[in-house]
Amino acid sequence: MTSNYQAKIDGLRNDALHIRRNVWRALHGAGGGHMGGSSSAADILAALYFHHLRLRPDEPDWPDRDRFVLSKGHANAALGATLARAGFIDDSVLDQFYAYQSPFGMHPDIKMAGVEMSTGGLGHGLSVAMGMALGARMQGKDFRTCVMIGDGELQEGSNWEGAMAAAHMDLSNLTVILDYNKIQQSGEVGQMMGLEPVVDKWRAFGWAVREIDGHDMAAVVEALDALPFANDEPSMIIAHTIKGKGVSFAEDSFLWHNNMVTDEVYEKALAELGEPS
Amino acid sequence: MNDVQQPEWVSKAENQSRLAFGQAVGELAGKDDKVVAISADTIDLFGLRGFLEASPERLIEAGIAEQSAMGIASGLATTGMRPILCGYAPFITTRSLEQLRNDVSYANQRVVIGAACSGIVLGMAGGTHHAVEDLAIMRNMPNMTVVVPADARQTWHAAMATEDLYGPSYIRLGGKFEETNVADIAGNDFKLGKADQLRTGDDVTVIACGALVAPALAAADALAGDGVGVRVLNMHTIKPLDRDAVLAASAETGAIVTAEEHRTTGGLGGAVAELLAQEKPTAMRMIGMPDEFCIIGPTVAVREHYGMSQAAIAEACRDLLK
Repeated sequence: MTSNYQAKIDGLRNDALHIRRNVWRALHGAGGGHMGGSSSAADILAALYFHHLRLRPDEPDWPDRDRFVLSKGHANAALGATLARAGFIDDSVLDQFYAYQSPFGMHPDIKMAGVEMSTGGLGHGLSVAMGMALGARMQGKDFRTCVMIGDGELQEGSNWEGAMAAAHMDLSNLTVILDYNKIQQSGEVGQMMGLEPVVDKWRAFGWAVREIDGHDMAAVVEALDALPFANDEPSMIIAHTIKGKGVSFAEDSFLWHNNMVTDEVYEKALAELGEPS
Repeated sequence: MNDVQQPEWVSKAENQSRLAFGQAVGELAGKDDKVVAISADTIDLFGLRGFLEASPERLIEAGIAEQSAMGIASGLATTGMRPILCGYAPFITTRSLEQLRNDVSYANQRVVIGAACSGIVLGMAGGTHHAVEDLAIMRNMPNMTVVVPADARQTWHAAMATEDLYGPSYIRLGGKFEETNVADIAGNDFKLGKADQLRTGDDVTVIACGALVAPALAAADALAGDGVGVRVLNMHTIKPLDRDAVLAASAETGAIVTAEEHRTTGGLGGAVAELLAQEKPTAMRMIGMPDEFCIIGPTVAVREHYGMSQAAIAEACRDLLK
């Protein structure tokens, strides 16, 4: 590994740390929120926005930009923190989470700069992203579309309509990232409504699938750099993650899917996350 | 009555609204290379086979998957494409309702939804295939324009008029009309949001839409023989409602009958009643489906079973004039 490469990975880790700290900041300001699924997604969001996606934060509607859809809309705190760091929105917006007339609510709103689709109802993002990918293909554009889906979300049948259709349409300009943190609102995904064998399912639907550790920044970057995984199939990255990643008391617990964030909790969380550079 | 030249598509469309809509899809695609049709296994339902053969790249087959089809339409619209989603009214409204609400209405995307086999067009098919609550649903979608053309010709005009819309729209398509080509009377003056006044009269007004416009005209003509002046409005645009036409009818005739192939709650009758209750309370009768699932049978027989007929409209008018 060259030192430049290592510096890049370290920089993305630092971006992810900023995102996680700002997730806690936004939730603290709002009194609470979806910390678990926001934190599990942070490393992937950092790699997407600060390495992979071609974007112009000062021209959010640039027609040729790559598209990212956060289908697991309840992780909007992480998306907002990412968009602020990327320069789409002002940093002060992060202190307006849930606030009166704020653009920054619990779930993404297309009216906020950098947000490609209003989401929150689960099982919507894949088909919307397919429409974007088709829009690129039909207009001869080379922008790429990426959608992040939650694991509990895969219980929604609409995803499987989309999975079938995207493969049928050979949408190689479309990537799904599964934030597989294994926990949903009321318990473990495997106990609530298990997804396994999830890799086999997506392969059987006609997708080119890779499994990675979604917190290993080098692995995330390597997977994104390898897109598309096939020339005639959509790509699926199954990212194994940890709910609440980075803060011990919040990790791997459904209690922190959505919880209150008091001053004391906030201080403890920031102390565990550590200072970014 | 305007002397309107019969375009070629009218004969091709056999006076069926869904085929007229399909014709308009092809014409819109010819005018704008961003227009794309989305089928949910509805190619032949909308007469799109020729379009598919001529322009296969402009038709996306989503399969029997309305949720996916609706999401795809929204995503396409975000990229500047102009999707026209061709579905069955009962399925494209309720099966994919959350996608319709969130991805299309809430995200305010320029998606045109053509909804074939609305109302009780498929009367023989049973309640799963009836759509008699769709207007109530669609009226409650912010940003949505809701249109109920009276016949195939007006369907074509309505579909072409979506060119000028920048938000989502819902075009409710009826079946084959045995009755008069009612929109001929209004000629080519179709304008979204502006009711067609098809008969003048000062005693009572019938505000009808879709398949019940023709029976409303027949009722008006029958009552004219008895010396009763019935104004008939074809309220093809349910949203935005032509408030001026409704308020003028109230002021000038003092009594209003609404008639629609839909439940009497939440559709055209509901829209008119909501307006009048606040602006000018007016004696009303509502013709339409009651709060129950529909019996099975041929469309016209089922309509008559529930009083969606010339006789029932005329009776409601007489009742108001007592």
